Amino acid sequence: MLTLGHYLIASGLLFSVGFIGVLLRRNVIIIFMCLELMLSAANLSLVAFSRYNQTAGLPDYNGDVLVFFIITVAAAEVAVGLAIIVALFRSRQITDVTAMNSMKN
Amino acid sequence: MLQEYIPVLLQILIAGGFAAAALILSVIFGKSAARNPTKDSAYECGMLPVGPGQARFSVKFYLVAMLFVIFDIEVVFLYPWAVTFNELAAGAVEKGQNFFSESYAFFWGMTGFLGILFIAYLYALKKGALRWN
Amino acid sequence: MPAYYLEVIVVVLGLTLLLVEAFVPLGDRRSLAWLAALGIGVVLCLSFLVSTPEQAEETGRFSALYATDGLALFYKRIALLTTLLVLLMSADYRKILHQYTDPERPQSQAGLGEFFTLPVFACAGLMWMASATDLISIFVSLEAVTMTFYVLVAFMRRNVGSLEAGVKYLILGALSTGFLVYGITWLYGITGQTELSAISEVLKEGAVSKTAALFAFALILVALGFKVGAVPFQFWIPDVYQGAPTPITAFLSVGSKAAGFVVLLRVSEPFIASELISSNVITILTVVAGATLVYGNLAAIPQNNFKRLLAFSSISHAGFLLMALASTPAGGAISQFSISPVSAISFYLAAYLFMTLLAFLVMTLVRTQRGGESIDSFRGLAKTSPFLALTLLIAMMSLAGVPLTAGFIGKFYVFLLAVNQHHYWLVALGVVGAAAGFYYYLKVVRAMYWEAPEDTSAPAIEVSMPTKIALILLIVAVFIFGLDPAPLML
Repeated sequence: MLTLGHYLIASGLLFSVGFIGVLLRRNVIIIFMCLELMLSAANLSLVAFSRYNQTAGLPDYNGDVLVFFIITVAAAEVAVGLAIIVALFRSRQITDVTAMNSMKN
Repeated sequence: MLQEYIPVLLQILIAGGFAAAALILSVIFGKSAARNPTKDSAYECGMLPVGPGQARFSVKFYLVAMLFVIFDIEVVFLYPWAVTFNELAAGAVEKGQNFFSESYAFFWGMTGFLGILFIAYLYALKKGALRWN
Repeated sequence: MPAYYLEVIVVVLGLTLLLVEAFVPLGDRRSLAWLAALGIGVVLCLSFLVSTPEQAEETGRFSALYATDGLALFYKRIALLTTLLVLLMSADYRKILHQYTDPERPQSQAGLGEFFTLPVFACAGLMWMASATDLISIFVSLEAVTMTFYVLVAFMRRNVGSLEAGVKYLILGALSTGFLVYGITWLYGITGQTELSAISEVLKEGAVSKTAALFAFALILVALGFKVGAVPFQFWIPDVYQGAPTPITAFLSVGSKAAGFVVLLRVSEPFIASELISSNVITILTVVAGATLVYGNLAAIPQNNFKRLLAFSSISHAGFLLMALASTPAGGAISQFSISPVSAISFYLAAYLFMTLLAFLVMTLVRTQRGGESIDSFRGLAKTSPFLALTLLIAMMSLAGVPLTAGFIGKFYVFLLAVNQHHYWLVALGVVGAAAGFYYYLKVVRAMYWEAPEDTSAPAIEVSMPTKIALILLIVAVFIFGLDPAPLML
């Protein structure tokens, strides 16, 4: 029997994988994928919370609504973000974040 | 019966533990392997690879794909709205207020949302984002 | 008139401008900026006609999502005023922008229309943030603003600095979104509510896991710390401020910070009011405030680029503001003290708006007509353009906190609050920070008044009429509210 705890652990692991990826990876695109992973982790635990926080036998739909919004926002973020990354790549041919240091005084 | 599997468990633990210990010890005692662009290149010594490894896609694909994703994902809000539409409409009719009153907010809200999307579509069309040539 | 009409009008204004930009051939696209500024100005006037909560008939779920209290209106006006001035600045910034978006064709105005339209959408988001009292609407409004800023920061697409700033802002912004969402998830999970008022009640009852509540608070604080520029999410600020187009830097440093603070005020209130966790929350806030003060002020000292200097100064002001927030009485106790942290923070942010935008307006003019942003570009400004030099002198004095200016009163209230709550360590750090502030703000003043200009034959800087009026009004505001802060107290 799956309990709330199982979902939360899975979501926590997903969040950690995403966060560690952001810290350690150096390719912008992969960092961006890790960021999306963090949002998915939040979505997973939101759905789990909404399923287990039942009121009068029904799941609490506030959590599900928030999931819809997160999905939409993530899509918009990807569209804008990839556009910026593509623009940077076209002007400097780099995707490595450690090479983005043209402003250090 | 399960006790017969203890050696297998031990075997797994030792194998996993050895692998983990080897990795951790090499990090602790080994010379710190600082990563740099040279070490990350495909061949640290020898010929540098010439030219990109994979063919690049035209940025046009990206633009159309992104517009598709944006407009596609907005549909997510239409589903819950459509599911509850009958209930909301029945409630509004029961109140018997006019069509522009607050009880029809569910209808006008979605109209506004779709209106904004339509304006965005017009803008993309006019700016030539969907032109393929 | 209900308060949400204001946002509706601003969004409609933005959509109209977008359609005009796309379908109407305009001789000079700068007329879009004037049009946008006019519209925002009208909405600013309309905000004084908004009905207060007592007059409005509040029904249903909407009132739980959307506050129309004085706090919300105050920050809506801050957002509107900032956008108005940013639009004026953007019109002046046209030349530089063009140089980095379409340098091959000197007459082209491509992309200019969007540069004037996007701030309007950002403004709608900022205004909504001021009213958001539900986790869902907080999240959506915050993202509406952040997303617009991604585009605006990276707007100069032929300028490597602007693009790098854009990518940095994008990655750290998305990271903070991740933290915010995860924090919201936990807060929703332990309380089962998304409305802040309902969350407050659940937390007050104390029947929740203390660890989980603190975990949620820490995640949300880190995410909002990104918006306001607090440690540990402050490191994007110098690079992004330096790389972004100057009007957008001004927008980020005032509009985004103010809206971030109103959300922080609303979100932290249930936590501070709950006896279960309030003492831990105050401790966390105190540590964050202290670290922000130290980092912002000490790192500002060696800076030579004026924009970067203002970036560090923005971090240090975030430190002072957090110091006021950390001085909230714990456990929902009513303080006998006459100034509440909320009104001190609001006054500070209004004063910060006046003085920072004053500095940025002068910087935009110097950048477009003298071509540089380092402190050296300001050398001898007092000889060539005495009015601008005087303006910048006043802005710097107010930022440093010289008496008789609004900046002084703001800092004074913050220190009073901290002493009242016995946060003596914070007070000590604040005093050191303010002293360091005198040094690095006056560096610019020294360059303007005591050093010879790089190029003695440089012509005086031209100031357009709307900009001149804005400068004079801001100077007047700095002095009036420096003498009598009462009209700006909530």
